[in-house]
Amino acid sequence: MARLVLQNLLRHPLRSLLTVGAVFIGVFLLCLLLSVVTALNAGVDAASSVRLMVQSSVSLFVALPISYQQRIAQVPGVESVVKWQWFGGYYQDQSNFFAQFAVDPEQQLEVYPELEVAPDVKQRFLARRNACIVGEQLLAQFADEWKVGGTIPLIGALFPHPDGPEVAWQFELAGTYRSTSGALDNRTLFFRWDYFEETTDLEEAGVFVLRVAPGADVSRIMAEIDGLYANGPQKVRTTTEKEFQRQFVTMLGAVPLFVTWIGGGALFAILLACVNTMLMAARQQRHDVGILKALGFTDGAAFRLMLAQSLVLCLLGGLLGVGLGKGTEAAFVTVLGTFFPGYVVTDQTVALGLGTALALGLVAGIVPAWTSARLDVVRALRGT
Amino acid sequence: MLIPLGYNLRSLWVRRSSTLLTVLGLGATVTIVSAVLALQHGFQSMFTAGGREDLAVFLRPGATNEGDSIFRRDLGARLVNTVGEIVSDAGGPRASMECYLAVLARKLDGGETNVPLRGVQPRTFDLRAGELEIVAGRRFTPGSDEVIVGESLVRRLQNCGLDDVIVLNTTPFRVVGVFRHPGAFASEIWGDLERFMPTLGRYGPNRVIAEVQPGTDFEALSARLEGDKEVPAKVLSEREFLESQTRVFSTALLTLGRVLGLIMGIGAIFAATNTMLASVVARTSEIGILLAMGFRPLPVFVAFQLEALVLGLAGGVVGGLAALSLNGVETGAMNWQTFTEFAFAFRVTPGVLGSAIGFSLVLGLLGGAWPAWRAARMKPTEALRLE
Repeated sequence: MARLVLQNLLRHPLRSLLTVGAVFIGVFLLCLLLSVVTALNAGVDAASSVRLMVQSSVSLFVALPISYQQRIAQVPGVESVVKWQWFGGYYQDQSNFFAQFAVDPEQQLEVYPELEVAPDVKQRFLARRNACIVGEQLLAQFADEWKVGGTIPLIGALFPHPDGPEVAWQFELAGTYRSTSGALDNRTLFFRWDYFEETTDLEEAGVFVLRVAPGADVSRIMAEIDGLYANGPQKVRTTTEKEFQRQFVTMLGAVPLFVTWIGGGALFAILLACVNTMLMAARQQRHDVGILKALGFTDGAAFRLMLAQSLVLCLLGGLLGVGLGKGTEAAFVTVLGTFFPGYVVTDQTVALGLGTALALGLVAGIVPAWTSARLDVVRALRGT
Repeated sequence: MLIPLGYNLRSLWVRRSSTLLTVLGLGATVTIVSAVLALQHGFQSMFTAGGREDLAVFLRPGATNEGDSIFRRDLGARLVNTVGEIVSDAGGPRASMECYLAVLARKLDGGETNVPLRGVQPRTFDLRAGELEIVAGRRFTPGSDEVIVGESLVRRLQNCGLDDVIVLNTTPFRVVGVFRHPGAFASEIWGDLERFMPTLGRYGPNRVIAEVQPGTDFEALSARLEGDKEVPAKVLSEREFLESQTRVFSTALLTLGRVLGLIMGIGAIFAATNTMLASVVARTSEIGILLAMGFRPLPVFVAFQLEALVLGLAGGVVGGLAALSLNGVETGAMNWQTFTEFAFAFRVTPGVLGSAIGFSLVLGLLGGAWPAWRAARMKPTEALRLE
């Protein structure tokens, strides 16, 4: 049986190859799209349950007075608070985009235990006022230009240097960090709050991130912090890290919907191609099926023979597609990691890709297999 | 001598189930690619609609968008009064300071989004007399806690109907009017600059806009003002400014369209090749007869290539029609450069349809090349001996 399947497929090698190619491309595209969706949701999926975010209730772009930090730290159950400010600068050219934040160095490492830094890097980061740490992937991108111990010049598009908007801020590279969870990507530059504050003279922060004690009542803490500033001067909104990350995803609006449409359209086109191939194959094998049946093959065997061909083609295409998806993972991160940090081809994606290939094979093969099973020996051999 | 096209058309009809599947497959590919193009087109044209050449936008040097830019209030006013190119009338310079902030808002479907909030001076309504139209209610009263909202927000956001209340920080603002605008302003909330600044804790406007004398050289003006000691500023025409705000998202959509076109196109070419190949193989004896009758290989090649082109054309038409059904469908997406969501519609223009059909013809051409080549190279004797 297996030999018959193989021989039938090899009788039209080009056709088999093209069909495998079509499925391969469809499954690869599916993997790509699913992984992009994974990347978009990475922050939400990996959010920690012991971290809360305090932001202005009006806008992400309204800063909060830094005096809030101490008040928040006094709320029972709060272990540590770090302030974050989006820097919005760029390196050499505006197209070199990556995120930069001013943070309290010590608190940052307390609040984010998944942010791993080597002891010597930590020591330099805590010792030097203008020190910064960058994610591993970010350093890899600029490996030729940035050296540990050297400086990284950034133009402050949002916070111009006091000496003039074209003057670059100079950050000393203390080393790299590695984030072990999707809550933080590996492409950010963190620098020290004190350096930011003394250079800009600003006493405002974008968000406060806090870590609560294990077992503390999170909703009580959130309500308590919101209550502190219910009457101003700046009303705040405290959310779980998950909620905070989710707002960035919902802001993408219809993008996930578009991705679904695109994937659906691609699969539809591939399905039609497979159905077409299998119908052609069935037409051409009518005579053979007639002979097999005359030799005593059952209807069931004829059914399986045809279906197996379809399944082999589609599964082979699926395997190749998933393989290419997995194989290009690293390259994708290098090229487009800026837009999709946390791009990863997960096991679910692989399973879904293969499952789709299987489904394609079944759907494309079922009608020809049915026709083949019902085929009348005499008519098949007579060729009518 | 060429083989009559009717032969190919009849042949496609004889294999109609296979033809139909191929055309639908090509059509699906074309639909997806044209939908992305129509999206890019809708975004770009909607965002830049109404962008004027006679209106100057002043930003802080180095700022890449309104959010980044800020002027001290007195310096903004000084700019308006000292730049000679600004047009004046009985009411003084035709200019307005504006503050801008993306604020969080709830969508009608429950999600959250960023909406642009623009604080303007009453002069704005003179500058925008030709473009902005109040369609319900009235303008806000200067000095009061009132706002007007862009028409497209009413359909998308909570608390954006007439007489609704929008709370900013601790201050409630009443919606007193709804306005229409052809461009991105239709997705914004407008109120009085003097009320927004204290409410949002701003010390000055984000940008200054002004009508300038016809023929003003923006580059020269910008070069002069960027070096200014008192109020350094960079200057763009409004059209130029709006275009600069669409670059990233527009390029991303175009790239997406191209990448999808490439990947799905290869799949479609495989499918078309398969169909044509089967059709060539099934007609081996017919081709033998044609060649035996004295048709040269080239006309045979051309005939099959034309047959593939007909498939491509049909796929393009089917795909184009499917995409056309999206025309005018409104959607919202976030413009990454302004970090705000704004509403726009798919726009299937003749250009988009043209590229859809062109794309599909190329797919047919490439898909038909190898099968047509094979048909042309057949030996009449061998072809006829088969079967």
